[in-house]
Amino acid sequence: MQRLIQRRRLLRGAVNLLIAIFALFPILWGLSSSLKPTDQIIEFPPRLLPSEPTLEHYIRIFQDGALYYIGNSMLVSAATIALTISLAALGGYALARFDFRGRGAIMMMVIGVMSIPIASLLVPTFTLLSAVGLFDTRLGLVLLYSAYQLPAAMWMLYGYFMSLPVEVENAARVDGCSPLRTLWKVVLPLSKPGLVAAALFVLVFAWNDFVVAVTMTSSQETRTFPVAIYFYLGFYGREWGPLLAASLVSIVPIIAVFVFLQRYFMSGLTGGGVKG
Amino acid sequence: MSTVTFQAVTKTYGAVMALDALDLHVEEGEFVSLLGPSGSGKSTTLNLLAGLMDADSGRILIGERDVTPLPPEKRDIAMVFQNYALYPHLTVFENLAFPLEVRKPKPDAAAIRSKVELVADTLGIGMLLARYPKEISGGQQQRVALGRAMVRDPKVFLLDEPLSNLDARLRIRMRRDLKALHQALGSTIVYVTHDQSEAMTLSTRVAVFNHGKLQQYAPPADIYNRPANAFVANFVGEQETNFLDGTALMEDGQLSFSTAFGAIPLGRPASAVSGHGALRLGVRPEAITATQDPTAEARIVLTELAGADLFLTVRGRDAAEVVVRADARATRLVAGDGVRLVFDAQRVHLFEAEGGAAVSLGGESAAV
Repeated sequence: MQRLIQRRRLLRGAVNLLIAIFALFPILWGLSSSLKPTDQIIEFPPRLLPSEPTLEHYIRIFQDGALYYIGNSMLVSAATIALTISLAALGGYALARFDFRGRGAIMMMVIGVMSIPIASLLVPTFTLLSAVGLFDTRLGLVLLYSAYQLPAAMWMLYGYFMSLPVEVENAARVDGCSPLRTLWKVVLPLSKPGLVAAALFVLVFAWNDFVVAVTMTSSQETRTFPVAIYFYLGFYGREWGPLLAASLVSIVPIIAVFVFLQRYFMSGLTGGGVKG
Repeated sequence: MSTVTFQAVTKTYGAVMALDALDLHVEEGEFVSLLGPSGSGKSTTLNLLAGLMDADSGRILIGERDVTPLPPEKRDIAMVFQNYALYPHLTVFENLAFPLEVRKPKPDAAAIRSKVELVADTLGIGMLLARYPKEISGGQQQRVALGRAMVRDPKVFLLDEPLSNLDARLRIRMRRDLKALHQALGSTIVYVTHDQSEAMTLSTRVAVFNHGKLQQYAPPADIYNRPANAFVANFVGEQETNFLDGTALMEDGQLSFSTAFGAIPLGRPASAVSGHGALRLGVRPEAITATQDPTAEARIVLTELAGADLFLTVRGRDAAEVVVRADARATRLVAGDGVRLVFDAQRVHLFEAEGGAAVSLGGESAAV
C-alpha cells in the first residue's frame, strides 16, 4: 500500500517535470545561450550549458541604454493601467448596477469591439494619431493601448462587480454615500482581486506590445523595450547574445509584479459581510 | 424621529403588481411591522421608503418632507438588512463609524469614537471593535448591523427581516432586545417580517399585506381578535384558523350557523348577516372547547402535544375537520374519543365566502 502511494507520487512528479520542461525549455535555452560567448551561441552541435559563462551581453544591453527603454515601457504601462482601470471601473460599475437607456446596446458593443484584430486598426490609428499630433509620443501609445484594452478590462470588472452582494452597496447608499462614493469606499476595496486581474491583463499587453509601438513611434526618445530589443536584429546581422539577454531582462518585471500581487488573488475578501 | 406617510403609492414589475395604491401612515415613535408572505409587497414597501426603488406613482413623505424623488443617501434613514450587509473590508469599529464618516459635515474623530463606543456598549459588542465581520458570530454580526443603524440618530429605522437568519433561541432573545431598544430610543421603526409572531410581539401596529395590497392596519390585538378578512385571520396566529362552511339560520330566536359540527350560536342579531351572500365561519383553536362525549358524532383523529397545549384534530360530518386547543395537563382525551365541541360566540368570526371580507360583529366594526 505504502509502496503504491509512493509509486503514484513518483509517477505524478515525473509527469509534472515533463510538462515543466516542455513549457520552460525555450526560456531556459535562452537563458543558457545569453550566458554564452558569441561564438558558442551559434556553434553546431549546440551545447546545453555554456562552458565559460559570461555576462558580456547583459553588460552590453545596459551600455546600449536598456534602462532608458525599460523606463519608457514602465511609464507607458503604468499610465495605461491607470487610465484603463479607472475608466473600466466606472464603465463596468455602470453596466453592473444601473439600468439606463442603451445599456444592452453598449454591452453588445463592448463585446463587439473586442473581436476587432489590432492589425486591422494599425493604419487608421496611425493616420488618426498623426492628424492629432500624437505620433511618436508616449501619450499616443498610452491612449491607443487604453483604447485596445478598455473593452476587455471593462468586461472583466463588470463580471466581478456583478458577483458582489448588492446589499452591501445598498447599505452604503442608505448610510449616506452617493453612487460614486459607494464605488470608491465599498465596491473598489472589495474588488481588489478583480482589479488586480484586470490590471495584470492590461500590463501584459502594454509591456509586451511590439507591433503598435514600432508603428506609432520612430525616435529613440519614445522607444519602448520590445522595440529596442528588435533593434538587435539589425540590417547587417543578428546579435543573438544581446537579443536573448534583453528578452530575459524584459520577463523579470512581469514575474516580479505577479509574485508581488499574488496575495490579492486570494478569494474570500468579501467573507463575513453578508449572511444567507 | 419622524412620521412616515405613503399616499397612493403604486409599484409594478413589468406586468406584476407589486404594490397597489398603498396608503399608510406611521406616527412618530411607532413600531410598525409590515407583515405578509413572500411576494406580498412588504419588502417593496420598505425598499420604496429607503429609496432603493422608485415608485411608479404616489408620494412618500418622511415627516413633512416629500422624499419620493430623493436617492437613499438624502433621505436620512437607517436600514438593517436581512443578511446584515456589513462592510467586509472594515473592522467592526469602522463599520459602526461608517455612517458618521460619510456624513457632511463629518464629525471630528473624537466625537465619532465616543458615539461608536456608546452604541457598541449599548449592544454589548464593545469587545469586538477591532475584529472583522467574518471573525464574529452571526448574532454578533446582527448586533453590529443594528449598531450601524443606531449610530446616527436617523429619522426612521428600516428593518428588513433582521432576525430571520438567526437560530430560534437567539431570535427570541433578539426580539426582546429590539423591543427594549425601541422603548429606550423611542424612534420610529418600520419592520418587515414574514413571521407573524415577530410582528405581533414587537409592534404598536401591524400592516398585513397580501398580493401587493394592504389587508389590514391595526394594533396586534385587533389584528388577532378582529381580522378584517379570512386571509388575515389565517395568516396571523401560531395555529391556523379553522374555516367551516355552512348557513346562517334562526333557532329559538337566536342566530346560529349550521355546520358539520352542528349549529353554532353566533350571539348577534340576525341583521348582522343579512345581505352578505354565502358565509364561512372562522374560529381559532383556542376559541373551541372539547368535552368527552362517547355518544357524539365528532371524533378525535389526531393529537399533537405542544408543551403546555394539546392540539386535537376533530373530524365531524362530511369529513370536516377542526383543530381544538386543550390544556395538556387537564385533558385525558386521546385519538378515537368522541367529543362535543363548544364554540365561544365572542370569538367566532364570519367571512363572506366570496372574497373573504369579514362580516361585522353586529354593531362593532372590524374594518381596516
